[in-house]
Amino acid sequence: MALTITCPVCGKRDGYEFRYGGEDKGPRPDEEGLTPENWCDYVHMNDCVAGIQKEWWYHRDGCGVWFSTHRDTTTNLEISDSEVK
Amino acid sequence: MLNKKNKSLWGERKPLKSSYDAVIVGGGLHGLATAYFLARDHGIKDVAIIEKNYIGFGGAGRNTAIVRANQRTQENVPLYNEALKLWPVLTKELNFNLMFNNCGNLNLMHSEAAMKAARMNVSTAQFLGVESHLLDAKQLKEMEPAINVSEDITYPIHGAMYHPPGGIVRHDAVVWGLAKGAAEYGAEIHQDTEVTAINTEKGRIASVDTTRGKINTSKVLVAAGGYSSAVINRMLGIRLPISALTIQAMVTQPIKPLFDHVISSGAYHVYCNQTLKGEIATGAHMDDWPNYTTQTTAHYIKHQAEALTQFLPCLKGLKFMRIWGGLADMTPDMAPIMDGNDQVEGFFMDCGWGYFGFKSCSSTGKYMAEFMATDEYPDILKPFTMRRFEQHRLMGETAALVNYSADN
Ligand SMILES: Cc1cc2nc3c(=O)[nH]c(=O)nc-3n(C[C@H](O)[C@H](O)[C@H](O)COP(=O)(O)OP(=O)(O)OC[C@H]3O[C@@H](n4cnc5c(N)ncnc54)[C@H](O)[C@@H]3O)c2cc1C
Ligand SMILES: [Zn+2]
Repeated sequence: MALTITCPVCGKRDGYEFRYGGEDKGPRPDEEGLTPENWCDYVHMNDCVAGIQKEWWYHRDGCGVWFSTHRDTTTNLEISDSEVK
Repeated sequence: MLNKKNKSLWGERKPLKSSYDAVIVGGGLHGLATAYFLARDHGIKDVAIIEKNYIGFGGAGRNTAIVRANQRTQENVPLYNEALKLWPVLTKELNFNLMFNNCGNLNLMHSEAAMKAARMNVSTAQFLGVESHLLDAKQLKEMEPAINVSEDITYPIHGAMYHPPGGIVRHDAVVWGLAKGAAEYGAEIHQDTEVTAINTEKGRIASVDTTRGKINTSKVLVAAGGYSSAVINRMLGIRLPISALTIQAMVTQPIKPLFDHVISSGAYHVYCNQTLKGEIATGAHMDDWPNYTTQTTAHYIKHQAEALTQFLPCLKGLKFMRIWGGLADMTPDMAPIMDGNDQVEGFFMDCGWGYFGFKSCSSTGKYMAEFMATDEYPDILKPFTMRRFEQHRLMGETAALVNYSADN
């Protein structure tokens, strides 16, 4: 199995039940003072880290919750929050 | 050790010099092609290609070698069309058989909506002078009798887009041929050497650090395939609109000649061709989440078997022999990024080529070389600027018949 993801509601499940939701880029920028550059940065630009990244997932074929988690992009293994710090 | 007779086509390993006119990061198709055209067209021969592993390690040696020029948009078609016309030219020029098998491509359509989309694609191609036709199911069946055009499959076939000028080119031969050609002009290929930093001074490229020492240079091209976005962000702090995904491909045991076009289907997420050896080489879709694993999975073997045997039922019972994975660096608009002299002077990038960077490598190399040599952005490359994302001028390739992007 290439990937398992731990849903905060349903627990550890087959990764194909989920939909990847992009890198976790923090809060959406304020409308005020927004430029095309920082909007583009928020919407399109990625860090593409080869290593641990924080990212969004959606439990599409399960409970429907959105959550963020850490995963190592070189191994596909989830990393617990305590390990990240 | 190698027998004396088996001399490397691209020369013996040389010591790394302390400076070059240009440094290319990545010994894949795009890096090698750019080095070749820098020398051939612009007399720039003092070039180092720095390759972390060996040439062809990346997508260059893993792709399924499909070439075609029936993309959806007017910006994309001319670049691919020029690349298509370059295969016979390069075969002669490099004095190396690239084995262009001009078998033509068939894109299956599985709904009336898809037939309408195909009509658009065909019109764009014809408008730009690229041969492309629409076939109905009967014509398709006459061309490829093995295809199942009955109603009793999940996605019945309504017709196909037929593109005679495309086909298959031997990817390893392109790597070796371009390496040989570039080296004959004097470019140096340094394998087993990693670029670890790109250094700037006052907004200009100054040098790169490698595992074999520092190189002073005023021009750097990053053409590191699926690794480009990670490399560019880590070394220059420039973020790209890219997701790097693992993509898989596989081949079956060889069988007698069964079909002789590249056949692809967006609805089934599968493409295949019968190689000259008789194997069915076939590509699967990619992981939906970014990763650098290049892992293969049972999931896709099953998917591939199910999809293929729906529209080619006679393949039932055939065994897969090999499966492998590589990286596809996908942009949100399914078009590459070819840019330079913008964020940093002397810094050029050629990436975001996803799963379509084989077919385009020759023409891209030619124009990236022109860009690097003259510092003038060739018109044909301008639509591919990274600025298109902040200008909301994304390209319409996403609406092509198959599309994947982790960000959509
Ligand atoms: C399974 C699969 C099927 C495909 N099928 C097709 C197809 O049918 N048709 C098509 O047109 N395209 C296809 N592609 C896409 C195509 O292979 C790629 O777009 C193309 O190879 C990428 O360009 P490249 O060859 O220059 O990069 P690559 O060959 O990926 O080269 C990049 C190189 O950079 C090196 N590198 C990375 N980091 C560093 C560093 N820090 N220092 C030095 N070197 C570094 C790597 O070792 C690698 O060799 C496919 C890809 C895959 C994986
Ligand atoms: Zn859940």
